[in-house]
Amino acid sequence: MANRVVITGAGVLSALGDTPETLYAGLCAGQNGVGTLSHPDLPTDGYAGVEISGFSPQTYLGDKNFRPLDRTSHLAASAVHLALSDSGWTEDKLREQIVGLVLGTMFCSVRTIAEFDRRAITLGPSYAKPLDFANTVINAASGQTAIWHHLRGINSTISTGLSSGLQAIAYATDLIHAGRADRLVAGGVEELCFESVYGFGRAGLLAGDGKPSENAVAIPFDARRNGFVPGEAAAFLMLETLDAARARGSKILAEIKGYGTAYDPTWGRTAKTAAVIEQAMTGALRDARRTPSDIRCLSASANGSVNMDAFEAEAIARLFAQAGDLPVTSIKTALGESMGASGALQIVAMTQTMQNGTLPGIHGLTHIPENFPLTASCAENRHGDFPIALINAINYDGHCCSLVLEK
Amino acid sequence: MDRVVITGVGLITSIGEGRQTFWENLLAGRSGISEVQSFDTSAYSVHRGGEIKRFAPEKYVRNQSPGELGRSSQLAIAASYLALADAGMDPERLDPVMTGVSMGTTSGEPNQVERFNDALVAQEPERIGPEFIGRYPCHRIAGYVAGEFGLTGCNMMIPAACAAGNYAMAYAFDAIRAGRADVMLAGGADAFSRITYTGFARLFAIAPEKCQPFALNRKGMMPGEGAGILVLESLANAQNRNAPIYAEVAGYGLSCDAFHMTGGHPQGDGAARAMRQALTSSGLTPEEVDYISAHGTGTKSNDQHETVAVKKVFADAAYRTPISSIKSMIGHTMGAASAIESVVCALAISTSRIPPTINLDEPDPECDLDYVPNVAREHTVRVAMNNAYAFGGTNASLILRKFEG
Amino acid sequence: MEMEAIRSTVKEIIANATNINPVDIGDTASFQEDLGLDSLSLLEIAVDVDHMFKLNLSDEELSARLQELRTVQDAVEFVQSFKTQGVSA
Repeated sequence: MANRVVITGAGVLSALGDTPETLYAGLCAGQNGVGTLSHPDLPTDGYAGVEISGFSPQTYLGDKNFRPLDRTSHLAASAVHLALSDSGWTEDKLREQIVGLVLGTMFCSVRTIAEFDRRAITLGPSYAKPLDFANTVINAASGQTAIWHHLRGINSTISTGLSSGLQAIAYATDLIHAGRADRLVAGGVEELCFESVYGFGRAGLLAGDGKPSENAVAIPFDARRNGFVPGEAAAFLMLETLDAARARGSKILAEIKGYGTAYDPTWGRTAKTAAVIEQAMTGALRDARRTPSDIRCLSASANGSVNMDAFEAEAIARLFAQAGDLPVTSIKTALGESMGASGALQIVAMTQTMQNGTLPGIHGLTHIPENFPLTASCAENRHGDFPIALINAINYDGHCCSLVLEK
Repeated sequence: MDRVVITGVGLITSIGEGRQTFWENLLAGRSGISEVQSFDTSAYSVHRGGEIKRFAPEKYVRNQSPGELGRSSQLAIAASYLALADAGMDPERLDPVMTGVSMGTTSGEPNQVERFNDALVAQEPERIGPEFIGRYPCHRIAGYVAGEFGLTGCNMMIPAACAAGNYAMAYAFDAIRAGRADVMLAGGADAFSRITYTGFARLFAIAPEKCQPFALNRKGMMPGEGAGILVLESLANAQNRNAPIYAEVAGYGLSCDAFHMTGGHPQGDGAARAMRQALTSSGLTPEEVDYISAHGTGTKSNDQHETVAVKKVFADAAYRTPISSIKSMIGHTMGAASAIESVVCALAISTSRIPPTINLDEPDPECDLDYVPNVAREHTVRVAMNNAYAFGGTNASLILRKFEG
Repeated sequence: MEMEAIRSTVKEIIANATNINPVDIGDTASFQEDLGLDSLSLLEIAVDVDHMFKLNLSDEELSARLQELRTVQDAVEFVQSFKTQGVSA
């Protein structure tokens, strides 16, 4: 098969750490990144959220002037810096050779967009800030990151809601398969901000309507669940052809074997949703030339949403005859729903599982729903050999993406 | 790998809804620029734009309540219906699994952020309901299109700013070639908004009266709005149903300047690379290009850099290749621009006519190519190139060619 | 307004737009070569200067003057000339 696509490095910024190893260790130890948001004078003050506290762009971007970038771009550029370092792509190499970027994000900088507008309507249009305007386009983060790191190849932004990060990686894989690029940085970023958190809250999607309480349960698949906790993160992979990776003696974390996508035009409102999720997973297996019995574990998209977690469980059960034996996990108890970054984070975590042999459990999953088909999905970590995994990233309003990762 | 052809086009623009009216007005050099009415511009030093007046979404949106959708989504659905009708496809009988959607946008649904802010500034945040999350995120545009037609196939949203339409076309092209879809509704949409207008005004980028790409006295761009959708189909699918074919998608090139957020590279390196990649991937040489649809925004810098880039790639042939900018007539429709310009290329190929660059009163010695000044022209077009350059320095060139079997 | 006070405020404005420490901004530093600022950052600074000193420049004036401001000293002198004009008008 022409142009097999492999991961030669990863960069991650998350509430559990800024290396794949610390992220993985945190997940295995059952650490939880959920905190309380401090949004003074705003309705979301005190809401639950997973923040990357103490994030300092200087740590990753150095002393160069990063004021033109907003926080979303800081997160993206920093995580891409980590991915480039991890895969051995130095500044000199980037001046000589062309590397592209595919960035997944649901909102990019909705905070900047909203603040730009608020300033203009309260003070007048001549008070709007030029640097802010540059960051109001949804491809701002990918543009700023490309400028920062001299990435002169394809520059694309993929925005498909919660599945953005995974779809960005799938899109990049396609480009390399088709010979349109030799190497791409691909992943996702999402910043936590008042606008998106409040919006999710008003749509009834957050656990306990946003405020932490005993009744607010955001544990994937749990019988008590009533919504998700919003989070922020950035995760990027260096993708190259297998031949190129071998030629330069690079480490290889995993191979992207194939993917499938499908769209649910009922937006999670009907039973059709499970069938569409199944369509995406079937598509991924077909693309990867693998069968359900080849898959050794699954990283679910489940984040505590009442309906969507159930639909996903049903779809998995339909596809995997021995679904009871398939270990299914979700990183979202620990990391919340980080939207555009989620799918990419899931891949980074899974590459660690493949190397180290432990699949973190869904910590806190104590109340198993009645007739829950995924009986191998539980709170405990699983130890074993997981050379092939399925990664799901599913929107509550349509997009479903599934990807086969292989050691 | 199957070849990919264009069998239908649909557009909603400030100079007409649908192919026929649009093309007629475009060739007649009519302008869609007018005084901005959707918000108060009295505090601004500019007041004109390419708003679409009298768009009635209820005329098109059937399977959802039009008022539930943001304006960009309404425009996208309307253009999709027009494109399907143009392709002779019944929207009720599409193959839901193998028909996909690929869209581009610059700002998504900025009017929804404006509504959000109006409530917040009035200290009434409780006025913000579930519709903010339901309508605002830009993936909802492609989502509403799929929802309208019940499509479960590929669904992609690429908000690559002013190059987004070309990016969406490129993805659709690849998806069909890879067998992930047989038919793709591909294009872009962007609605007029005070956020976008304020931003460009802040950069002093908006022309006070009219958009004059490549002219000596050009004073800037003109924000506009619109949607353009093309039906891309595998050749096998098109031939099976005897569909008339406008053109074939030959190839594309994508690159990034990695230089400046709002200005292109002065030597046009990234733009030149995108053009060269497009030509290589299409198996064509610059001399074979008969028409270029320019990005041509009307700003001093874009038009000059674009001219430099074209000369870099085309050398002497640059002087023999007509290149026009329809932004002179409908302004800059952001994420819809390169989709609408793809429609223009398809129509140029199928009708052997090319649109003018209007308002080109006095030529700029630094922009000395044949920009088809002011009057449309008959011209045989076998190969057309569509160039688009976006914020973030991202460049996209798409090539269409006459389908000759 | 005193030259020194203007200079100090201008440097604060540049610091806000760039994260460069005011003490590291030379009196004659050039925006592009010494401070590495692109046109967008420059515009941001010009807009902030206009607001801070209440120069009330029109869009045309601001846009035109932007081309002439190459160094910190240019900016300081520009503000001073405007403030002086304002007083005598």
